[in-house]
Amino acid sequence: MSHLAYAAAAEFDRLLGDPRDTGRLFSHARSLALDEREEFPLEICRELDLLGLPAHYVPVAHGGALRNFGDTLQIVRTIARRDLTVAIAHGKTFLGAASVWVGGDPRQARELGAEVARGTAVSWGLTEREHGSDLLAGDVSAERTAGGYRVSGEKWLINNATRGDLVCVLARTAPEGGSRGFSVLLIDKRRLDPTSFRTLPAARLHGIRGADISGVAFSDAAVDHSALIGAEGDGLEIVLKSLQLTRTLCAGLSLGAADQALDMATAYALARHNHGKPLIELPQSRRLLARSYADLLTAEALTLFASRALHALPGELSITSAVTKYLVPTLVDQALARLSRLVGTRSLLRGDTFEHGRFQKVLRDHRIVGIFDGSSVINLNSLINQFPLIARAHRRGPADEAGLRTASTFTEALPDLDPAALELLPRRSSGLLHAVPAAARELRSLADAGAVPHSLAAHAAEFAEVLEEVTERIGRHKPTPVAAPAHAFKLAEDYARCFAAAAALQLWLRNRSAVDAEATHGLWESGLWLECCLVTLVGRLRPVRTEHLVAEGGRDPEEAVDRLVEPLVAQHTSGQLPSLLPYSRLGTPA
Amino acid sequence: MTTSAPESTAQVVSSEEIRDMLLNLVASYLEQPVTDIRSDVKLLDYGLDSIFALTLCGDVEDEYGIEVKSTLAWDYPTIDAITGFLHEALSERV
Ligand SMILES: Cc1cc2nc3c(=O)[nH]c(=O)nc-3n(C[C@H](O)[C@H](O)[C@H](O)COP(=O)(O)OP(=O)(O)OC[C@H]3O[C@@H](n4cnc5c(N)ncnc54)[C@H](O)[C@@H]3O)c2cc1C
Repeated sequence: MSHLAYAAAAEFDRLLGDPRDTGRLFSHARSLALDEREEFPLEICRELDLLGLPAHYVPVAHGGALRNFGDTLQIVRTIARRDLTVAIAHGKTFLGAASVWVGGDPRQARELGAEVARGTAVSWGLTEREHGSDLLAGDVSAERTAGGYRVSGEKWLINNATRGDLVCVLARTAPEGGSRGFSVLLIDKRRLDPTSFRTLPAARLHGIRGADISGVAFSDAAVDHSALIGAEGDGLEIVLKSLQLTRTLCAGLSLGAADQALDMATAYALARHNHGKPLIELPQSRRLLARSYADLLTAEALTLFASRALHALPGELSITSAVTKYLVPTLVDQALARLSRLVGTRSLLRGDTFEHGRFQKVLRDHRIVGIFDGSSVINLNSLINQFPLIARAHRRGPADEAGLRTASTFTEALPDLDPAALELLPRRSSGLLHAVPAAARELRSLADAGAVPHSLAAHAAEFAEVLEEVTERIGRHKPTPVAAPAHAFKLAEDYARCFAAAAALQLWLRNRSAVDAEATHGLWESGLWLECCLVTLVGRLRPVRTEHLVAEGGRDPEEAVDRLVEPLVAQHTSGQLPSLLPYSRLGTPA
Repeated sequence: MTTSAPESTAQVVSSEEIRDMLLNLVASYLEQPVTDIRSDVKLLDYGLDSIFALTLCGDVEDEYGIEVKSTLAWDYPTIDAITGFLHEALSERV
C-alpha cells in the first residue's frame, strides 16, 4: 500500500515496470548503457510521453493534470530514482513552461498546455555564455518591430535547446536593461525563418551525460507579438516567480537520487561481510547509513511541506523555495558522500559488477542539482536579501495560521495552484517559525504523558533556543547594497536549517495519528524520525565535539540517530523504499 | 525606524516628508551622508540592485501602513518618482 501523497507516483512506477528487469524499456541496464554512450534517452522520454507524464506539467486550469504540485514532484522523484538524466531531460519542460503559467494570458496558457500534453519539449533560456545567475546582465536582445520582435544573441548551456521545439527566452527589450528592461518570449523554433537561428553543439558533461545541454543563437529572428508573455518589461518578475515553482520541483530530483543511493547502500551493507560479520553490524557502517537516512528524511519532510506550502502559503514561496533549493540538494550531496564511503570501491565501478554502475552514475548526476536553476550560493543570497523582511515579519507575529495548518496536514484539502498569488518577497509571516515554542511545549506534554521520549522534548526545547538566537542575529543583520558579506551566508544556512526543523515539527505533530504506524516500521511512533531530524539539524546549528563529550562521560548525541537503522532494514526487507511514508519498490525484494 | 499602526496614519503626508524619509533610508543603506543622495538619480546608479530595491516596500509599509507592490522601485526608479507615487496613494487614502 502506498500513502495517498505518493499514489500518483506509485501508479507511474507501476506502469514503467521493474527497472531491474532488463526486458523493460526503462531499465537500469538501458539507462547505464545510454550514459556510457552519452546518448539522449529518446525512447524512454517517448514512453513517458505515451504514459501521460507531460500532462502533469500543465495545471488543470490549462487543460492538464497538475492539480497537486506534490503529485508532480513525487512523479519526478520516481523518474529520478531510476535515472536523473531522464528526469532532468523530460522534466525540463515544466521549467520551460512555468513562465507561461505565471505570466501568460489564458489563450497562451491553453495553447501551450495542449502543446505540452502532446509531448512537445519546452526549454528555458536564461543563461548566456558570459552571464549565469545575474539575470539582468543578459545580452540577448528583442527589438520591437511592426509585427513583434527581432531577436538576436545567444543562450548557452540550455537544457533541450536543440531538441525542444519551443524555447522560453528572457530577452532585453530596453537597451539600458534594468529590472523593467527584460521580457519573456515563448519562441517557436518551428515557425522561425531557419536562417535566423542555429542550435549549438551539446556540451560534454560530467554527469547526466546523455542530456541535451546545448544552446541556441538567434540572428535577427523575427517573432510574432503573440510570443510575448505578460507585458513588455515584466520578464524579470515573471522569471523570479517561475523560479519559485521550479526550485521547489528540483527537490524531487535530489530525493530520487538519495532514494537510489540509500537503497543500494542498504542492500550492500546487508549482503557484504567483513571479518565474518555483515557490514550492517559494524557501528561505523550503521552510523553512515543512519546519518544518511536522517538527511534523506529531513529533505523529504521539508519537500513535503514546501510542495503543500506552494498551494497553501504561496505568498511566502520566495522564502520556502530558496530554503528548499539550497537545503535539499545540500543534504543529499552530504548523504551521497557518506554512502559512497560505506560502499567503497563499488561506488566507483562502471559496468556490471555492482548495480550496473548506478552508484557512480548517481554521484556524478546529482552534482548538477545544486548548481542549476539557481545554485546554493544564489539561494542563500536570496535569503540574505530577504532578511529585513523576515525580521520584520517575525516582529509582527504570525498572520496565516490556517495556511500553516493546511500546509502541514496531509489530510487537509489544498487550494488550487494560484500563480497570481506569488510574491517576489514575503509579505507576512506564516508562523512556521513562530509556531516552534508552542510545538516544543506540545512535545513536552506528550513526553509527560509517556507518548514520546523525554529526549525528543529536550531536543525540541533546545531547537527553540537555537531558533531564538538565529532570529535575533537576523534582526541585527544590516542590509548591504549588492554584495552580501561572507558571514551572512552562514546565517542564511542556519536559517534554512531552522526552517527545515520547524517544518519537521509541524509535519510530525499534525500527521502522527493519521499515518499508518505499522506500515512505517516505527519511524512515526514516538517521534523517532522527528528526533533524528532535530538531532542532526541542531548538531549543525550548535556543533559539539562528540569525542570531548564522550571522554567526559557524556552520551554521544548521534546515538539517537543510529536507531534509524532498524526501520531502514525493516523497510528494505519488506520491499519498501526508505521513506517517511510507505512506498513499495517494484518486483520482489532483492 | 518606527512602526506605525495602519489605522493611525491616515493623514496627509507632504511630498517633502516622503522624500526626506526615502533619502534617509537610502543614505542609511548606503552608509553615506544624506546630503550625498540626490532624489532625481536612479537608485540603480547608486548600486542598489533590483532585489535590494524590493525590500524598500517593506520599509514603506512600516512607515505609512499601506501595502505597495513589491516592484515599487522597479516602476518608479528614482526617489522623486517613488515620492510622487506615494504622495498620491497616501492622499487618496485620506
Ligand atoms: C547541465 C546543465 C543544465 C543547465 N540547464 C540550463 C537551462 O536549461 N536553462 C538555463 O538558463 N541555464 C541552464 N544551465 C546554466 C546554469 O543554470 C548556470 O550555469 C547557473 O545559473 C550558474 O551560472 P554560472 O556558474 O555559469 O555563472 P555565474 O552565475 O556567473 O556564477 C559563477 C560563480 O560566481 C559565484 N557567484 C555568482 N553569483 C553570486 C552571488 N550573488 N553571491 C556570491 N557568489 C556568487 C558563484 O561561486 C558561482 O559559481 C545549465 C547548466 C548545466 C551545467
